[in-house]
Amino acid sequence: MSLPKFKTSQLVDFAIVGSGAAGGVMARELSQAGFSVVLFEQGRRLAPASFEHDELKYWFLSGLTNDAVKNPQTFRDDASKRAERTTVRPALYYARTVGGSSLHYTANYWRFHEVDFDERSRLGPIAGTGFADWPISYADLEPYYTKVEWEIGVSGLAGASPFDPPRTKPYPMPPLPTKSSGVLFERGARKLGLHPFPAPMAINSQPYRGRPACVHCGFCHGFACEVMAKASSLTTVIPEAEATGRCELRSESYVTSIDTDKRGRATGVRYFDAERREQFQKARAVIVCANGGETPRLLLMSASSRFPNGLANSSGLVGKYLMFNYSARASAVFEHELNEYKSVQVSRIMHDFYDSDPKRGFYGGGGIDARIGPQPIVWAQRTADEGPSWGSAYKARLAEFPRTMTISAHGTSLPLESNNVTLDPELKDDWGMPAIRVTYKDHPDDLANARFLQERGAEILEAAGALRVTKAPVNPQTWSMHLLGTCRMGNDPATSVIDRYHRSHDVPNLFLCDGSSLVTSGRGQPTMTIQALAFRAAEHIAAFARRGEIASPS
Amino acid sequence: MDELSRRSFLRAASAALGGLGLTLEWPAIVAAADDAHHAKHGTDERQLSYLTRAEQAVVEAVAAQIIPTDSTPGAREAGVAFFIDRALASFLSRMAPSFRAELTQFQDACRTSHPAAESFAALTSEQQIAFLTSMEKTPFFRDMRMLTVLGMFAMPEYGGNRDGLGWKLLGFEDRHVFEPPFGYYDRDYPGFTLPPESAA
Repeated sequence: MSLPKFKTSQLVDFAIVGSGAAGGVMARELSQAGFSVVLFEQGRRLAPASFEHDELKYWFLSGLTNDAVKNPQTFRDDASKRAERTTVRPALYYARTVGGSSLHYTANYWRFHEVDFDERSRLGPIAGTGFADWPISYADLEPYYTKVEWEIGVSGLAGASPFDPPRTKPYPMPPLPTKSSGVLFERGARKLGLHPFPAPMAINSQPYRGRPACVHCGFCHGFACEVMAKASSLTTVIPEAEATGRCELRSESYVTSIDTDKRGRATGVRYFDAERREQFQKARAVIVCANGGETPRLLLMSASSRFPNGLANSSGLVGKYLMFNYSARASAVFEHELNEYKSVQVSRIMHDFYDSDPKRGFYGGGGIDARIGPQPIVWAQRTADEGPSWGSAYKARLAEFPRTMTISAHGTSLPLESNNVTLDPELKDDWGMPAIRVTYKDHPDDLANARFLQERGAEILEAAGALRVTKAPVNPQTWSMHLLGTCRMGNDPATSVIDRYHRSHDVPNLFLCDGSSLVTSGRGQPTMTIQALAFRAAEHIAAFARRGEIASPS
Repeated sequence: MDELSRRSFLRAASAALGGLGLTLEWPAIVAAADDAHHAKHGTDERQLSYLTRAEQAVVEAVAAQIIPTDSTPGAREAGVAFFIDRALASFLSRMAPSFRAELTQFQDACRTSHPAAESFAALTSEQQIAFLTSMEKTPFFRDMRMLTVLGMFAMPEYGGNRDGLGWKLLGFEDRHVFEPPFGYYDRDYPGFTLPPESAA
């Protein structure tokens, strides 16, 4: 089979921007439906065999990710302040490579619950926030969650959590092995009358769809999987899209604007190719799946005389309502070895505190999981931050590495207009394009919720028999890998950017689908939901195209 | 992007490197790793790339107080100072001038408090600990702490963590494939079953 190579002058059905969790799904679904697709990715295509267990490279030297030198960003916690350039890594941090952040994520794949979609109706408004219902329900998305589980490959146990939303099919693979942290978590949680269950993970517990089972090397979190047991767009949907003969993956192609014609319709995308030459690809429709930071940036960079505030931005909400989720940590030392550095990051979670409870005095809820501490370098640094930081006492703490586990409490972030992505007025990236400027401050309820969940996690560790429990300080966040909410979905063009089918309210042949589409933050672990949205959106977009509403098969 | 606690994970990493006050760039690392590899297998592995002998002696003495040698090897045996020298000459070259300036200030301060000693490296261990305690808040010590951690636990290809000594200290086994049971507590785990109240 020869892979197609489209000319830039050739009118393709779809230009898809971004090859991560959503873009990969979109490319597969639309090319399998018979449409011609060019899938743009600013990063390189890396071979899975090249992925290493190199903590310095991937965690500190931007081996996979956007970096603060070539792709700089600025950050401030208040719009009255001048945003400062971030020095270590960008504030909105993502894998800048084919497959996007689906390469280096942990692959926690729990579904959002029903409440995530209609919480505003259940709880009422929250003053000063953009707290709102989604225009779709859990029931609308359920078939696509199932599709993700079976098409991408998720290991888990249906019916194991009494809080799980309804599902139409079991998981295609049984859960991964239970780690010592999972056993202890289960022991502690059950003592307290709680309901731990095997974590659903997009990691193969057995060979699945041509990819092998996990070998338990332990390098998931921040690393790409060289054996391909962890699902990523690079190793699942993108090869399947290419196999149709109708999808061209164009890597090292950095899209900088979407052009429009006199009628205000998208005509294609402008981009820098690998040699940094400017190119323009014609397309019948454009789908942006560039992530919650880059998608709004691209729309803002596409401002024109017709759309002076940026494309698809008549609401003024492009880039607004940025949400990070909050993760609070408690760690513990036990008598015997756990060796958490082996195998997948999470083997037990619980959703007992998922729903918001007005009795707690704040909005919020979340999931709590048992997990690995980080790999050696970051673990050693964290240990120094939380206790003696040098000398014999520090060295003694370091030796506790195999007897340590962590609990992560994942919580909500409220949508605030003041938390947003804008174009920095001064700073440019290596290509001369405006840098992302992030303005973000956690809502007080987000922090209160994080502390509440962290306390529950610490109780579980105590109940499990921990020798010593340490709670990390819950401080305001200054950066994130969860990039959510910046082009929200809704029925009203005045209060949302895209409609329930991911079509922009303003430009009929422009669609947006990724973390930016989320109306509320969920309780963390957004990738599963982003992919379900992509499967659903692709089905509708294909139907529109077949009806001649946006594009027709060439 | 999925992993929530990746943030806290990264927060630690970020805080750590933030201390260095400089940005790192990936491609330079390749050269550094190659360098270190050659050095490791070459005839003179003590050849320095950036630091002077005298500077290297101080860096090594400080690293050896951060992760000391006792009943088990420490930063000295793991070649941390060698790693730092290589890093400053390659992927951390952006921070090299400021690091040298901090090191000079550190040495000046040491001379002021111990005029008779030739350098920090010549002090007794007790004197070193006392002096470092007084220097804990300085950028130099903060950078040294982070660089020592990197040199102790990064892959040996980078020049430190010699013979995997850092990983041995942690009890981290450098293997590609593991099988359950992974630890003490999952050894006799009977498997997940729903508690009676849930099954009802």
